[in-house]
Amino acid sequence: MQTVLRIAARRWVIAALTLFAVIWLIPDLYMVSISLRTPVNAFDPHLLAFPLTIRNYWIVLTQNPLLRFFLNSLVVTAATVVTVIGVASLCAYAISILRLRGSQAVFALLLVTLMVPLSALVVPLAALLGRLGWINSYPGLIGPYSALGIPFAIVLFKAFLDDFPTDIHEAAMLDGCTTWQLYWRVVLPLLRPLIGFVGIWQFITSWNEFFLALVIMTRNPMKTLPLVPMEYSGMYMANPGALFAILCIIALPLILLYVLVQRVFVRGLLEGSVKG
Amino acid sequence: MTEEDSVLVQVGTRDAMDLPLNRSRWRRSALYLYEIPALAFFGIFVGYPILWVIYTSLFAATVHGATYWAGLGNYAELLQSPTFWMTLRNMALWGLITIPVQMIIGGLLAYAIEQYTIRSKAVFRTVYFVPVVTSVVVIAIVWEQIYAPYYGILQAGLTEIGLHLNFSLLGSYDTAIFALIIVNIWEWTGFSMLMYIAGLNAIPREIFDASHIDGASGWRLSRYVLIPLLSGVNKSLLLLGIIGTLQTFPLVFLMTNGGPDNASQVFGTYIFLHGFTEGQTGLASAISVVVLILAAGLTFLQIRYLGTQFLSRKGDA
Repeated sequence: MQTVLRIAARRWVIAALTLFAVIWLIPDLYMVSISLRTPVNAFDPHLLAFPLTIRNYWIVLTQNPLLRFFLNSLVVTAATVVTVIGVASLCAYAISILRLRGSQAVFALLLVTLMVPLSALVVPLAALLGRLGWINSYPGLIGPYSALGIPFAIVLFKAFLDDFPTDIHEAAMLDGCTTWQLYWRVVLPLLRPLIGFVGIWQFITSWNEFFLALVIMTRNPMKTLPLVPMEYSGMYMANPGALFAILCIIALPLILLYVLVQRVFVRGLLEGSVKG
Repeated sequence: MTEEDSVLVQVGTRDAMDLPLNRSRWRRSALYLYEIPALAFFGIFVGYPILWVIYTSLFAATVHGATYWAGLGNYAELLQSPTFWMTLRNMALWGLITIPVQMIIGGLLAYAIEQYTIRSKAVFRTVYFVPVVTSVVVIAIVWEQIYAPYYGILQAGLTEIGLHLNFSLLGSYDTAIFALIIVNIWEWTGFSMLMYIAGLNAIPREIFDASHIDGASGWRLSRYVLIPLLSGVNKSLLLLGIIGTLQTFPLVFLMTNGGPDNASQVFGTYIFLHGFTEGQTGLASAISVVVLILAAGLTFLQIRYLGTQFLSRKGDA
């Protein structure tokens, strides 16, 4: 009897989840829909309007250097991801496994970053990067993005490593492993699921970051993708379809990428929170 | 209650161990090289800016651009500005609405997905997370279109049910901030959901089985078993929600730019207005310091009253 009830309940819940999911996705569907409209029905107040056309994509891709902006985003994001993972894993290793004297103070200090809202750092970062001559340069974004991402990664890595039995490290040391070999051959592979999680999350946040990019990348060829719509919203006032084609070009690759890696992402998250 | 489920970790202390063995003092201190890069990034891009902003907030500039010592003048100016209080009100509304609503919707979604779906689990987990992955600039422009009077689909939908708005939700003094908060909730609820999914999965299977045998299900299961066991997730979402609120910027900047008449001003746009549009670095720094104080104060309160667990997994209980 109870199983019958459970099966019925399951059907209802799945139906509700599905309905809600469709509503949830309306803004994204709307974006795609407008990007496929002709100028004539661009302002049609319905979710879908026909006929569909891909002309808008052709217009924006031929008229604008979108590839350049895409590459800017890719360089900044990839460099940030690598930096965060490298620096954070080294530091977590030193804190959690080598347990250097004063490590707890270092850890506490780094944690301060987690409670600093970026909005409070924008003015000083603009001043600092101006003095360094890093305005309109890749390091101008890679540096701050990494600095803001590293502490979060350290927290996750450290928590994971703290649970690891210490005798393995002791054994490795007695076998004559150097600390670097221990890091490179044992610790880093051990962290792999979490590295997937941290890397994907860092990728998403850096790729989409807007505030600092707005302030640091002021010259056109250096702008990252999130700054592009502002550039063109005036230009395509009369043809929103083209503007929304740009929005799709910006948003869809990351969404697709997430769909592809979501398994790794969720597994990393569960690994980080479950194991132990 | 143990905390072993929580997605949080104790800022624990472990004594320095005599590892590695038989190292000279020089070799041992060389090991600090592993920590130096992280500290360098922190010092340059977080520590130094914090000190700079505190120092700079004590100066003001004349119309000719010369800076002079202003003491607490910038702060006095802030406290007398109605816009500052409006911003503070908006941030309070933002946090007080966004955080609980996201936790409730995210928690319900997580529960429904983890308890009731099998084959479609990955699909639902992904679909609800899509807004988190969608670029916030894109979200801002799409929602502007949704909210648009006359041709926006929200208006069209409301007309279907016989409701006609004769004003713009984003353009009106009284509704702008709420219209923005709705978008923000939509954007970030998937994140809360995923955190709860992680929390639910960290609960040992036996606890569910035992509860079922005891006849606890639905509301009772949630109230007496799940919610207490998920307290770690709640705490991290609260902390992240507060920091997230204080750094709100792109949505507001792109959709209303704090308007109309400062009605939707948030700290991010307020700082941008004075720091970059108007070039009042001292005043913008003073606002930044207020943001830092609020963040530190609220974090401190949270640690004081809810414990020192911090974002990650098991607390050492």
